[in-house]
Amino acid sequence: MTRVIALCFLMLSAVLGYLHIDSQPAWAPFKLTDAVKTASIEALSPEITRTIPLYKNGSSVKSSATQAQLNWLPDTGAASVHAASLIVLKDGGIRAFWFSGSREGAKDVVINSAVFDPQTAKWSAPTVVMDRVSAETGLSRYIAKLGNPVPTRMADGRLQLFFVTVSIGGWAGSSISTIISDDEGLTWGQPKRLITSPLINLSTLVKSPALPFSDGLLGLPAYHEWIGRFGEFLRIDVDQVIDKRRMSYGRDAIQPVVFVDDAQQASAFFRQTRGSAQVKQIPVSQTSNAGKSWQVAGDIPIPNPNSAIAALTLNNGLRLMVLNNIETGRYRLVMMMSEGQMNDWQVVQVLEDDEALPNEQRREFSYPYLITADGSDVHLVYTWDRKKIRHVYFGSDWVEHVHSQLKTPEKIISKETQP
Amino acid sequence: MNNYMQSIALIEMSISCSIICIWLMQKLIPGEIPFGVRVLLLLMLGNIFFWPLGMSMELPLAGYVRGITGDLSIVSLLLLWSSLIPKGKATPIGFKFTIGLIAIGFYPMALGLGMIDPYAWGYGSIGLLIVVLIFAVICGLIGWTKGVWILALAVISWSGHWHESRNLWDYVIDPFLAFWALFGSFYYLYRQHREKAQSGYLFRAG
Repeated sequence: MTRVIALCFLMLSAVLGYLHIDSQPAWAPFKLTDAVKTASIEALSPEITRTIPLYKNGSSVKSSATQAQLNWLPDTGAASVHAASLIVLKDGGIRAFWFSGSREGAKDVVINSAVFDPQTAKWSAPTVVMDRVSAETGLSRYIAKLGNPVPTRMADGRLQLFFVTVSIGGWAGSSISTIISDDEGLTWGQPKRLITSPLINLSTLVKSPALPFSDGLLGLPAYHEWIGRFGEFLRIDVDQVIDKRRMSYGRDAIQPVVFVDDAQQASAFFRQTRGSAQVKQIPVSQTSNAGKSWQVAGDIPIPNPNSAIAALTLNNGLRLMVLNNIETGRYRLVMMMSEGQMNDWQVVQVLEDDEALPNEQRREFSYPYLITADGSDVHLVYTWDRKKIRHVYFGSDWVEHVHSQLKTPEKIISKETQP
Repeated sequence: MNNYMQSIALIEMSISCSIICIWLMQKLIPGEIPFGVRVLLLLMLGNIFFWPLGMSMELPLAGYVRGITGDLSIVSLLLLWSSLIPKGKATPIGFKFTIGLIAIGFYPMALGLGMIDPYAWGYGSIGLLIVVLIFAVICGLIGWTKGVWILALAVISWSGHWHESRNLWDYVIDPFLAFWALFGSFYYLYRQHREKAQSGYLFRAG
């Protein structure tokens, strides 16, 4: 008799389970921003193809017509700062997030934030968004340290911050948590934990900006960094992971950044983490169904010394990356540009370069993060020797100027080859 | 909703920690602890684990344990909690073998061995749900009704989003259950082997 009752109860669970699966939203296409729409149209034009490198022998553009604005994120007084990220606010300001403390991974590390006023070109005083004790109180579990913060804009307009928390071990023991703000980052709600791994939820981290789907959900490029080192694409409904897909496998690719080609196609570029005998180039994966499945697509021939990449697509379809284009060290940081989806990457600006210095005097320039405020300009932040965060603003004039320089060689060659 | 969910998780962890403490006490004491005493111990220890003790601790004890172990699966919780009830039927070895075999295949793939990620099936795969239900029916057919109840409750908890995870795997398996199942399976095989060897010695032809 008890067996019959138990089996009836099991049938009830089957019905509830089926209803739960049935209520899951279908996998939607990527939401197309102006930048992606332009890039998609340009990709169809054959005359866009160019293969002539503008810069040779590592020389960079001399942008005399326009200048980039250099700035620093406000000093928190902490000995070590790292992993800055940015988001555009509704009033046109830029809010930055970064972590600071006595050293990376220390218990005193907090996540800071400050706002950049484009009118005055000044940063506000830093505030603390999250510290270790607030995180563990809100999450009701022990937290040993905090890590990378990544902001995003939710479909309903609220600001959301994903950040890394570690309860045991090093970064391999990481999980992702999230907080939401109703007032553009002035105050934040209770943190919530994203569950992404079956092994005590260990080892999922975030570094790159999320992508919106057309149904309002978010696609968050994340990565696993423990036994394997590979990319994962999390599908997020407010503060819960409702699906995830593997972007690569093995032990050689983390911190994916995603370039969306159209509503279905996208490419992910990774930081390589290969052994010393292997090729030090940027691994790539591609999707043709809005991230539902990914295929490893080989490397693009740009050196990468196991360091993070930043990526951005502007409204005119131009693609930008900031990265260390060397095989070892992080002493050289450059900006590269490509026309649409052509992957004809060329260095357009050397941002930092300590190559001339002896090894022991070279500084670290790393963890770049790119956004655009109006679709034509560029805000960049990166770690400067772990002591400061550099903020660089490239106006639309600068971008136009560099873009026109990119086009020049082709125009000249076209004229020369005409009969 | 978040606070409610966090409190529930801490209560679960407090009960689990208390039951493990009672189990350890039972191992150290020669006689069997009466059921009533066990319940009293559970109430006492559960409160110690659940409420913040102050001093230099920022969290209740259960919060520290939860930071390391995460939330246990519903199957683990119910198997552990049911051990408090006296004269319960032992978990069938077939259940342990099956969980152990699934764990051996599941964890390496879920942790990056190849492009196939079985963990992703737990978010909305009707196939995985059917497999869990069939497993529960088999438990019922071999007479282990408790297994049917446990698996049914795991599926209902997943449907109702009882824990932070939206993944069915997190409700039916966890590394501690996998370790227990593998250890139990190997111990069973070792014991069988030893009994066979001993019986062979006793009845060997002279």
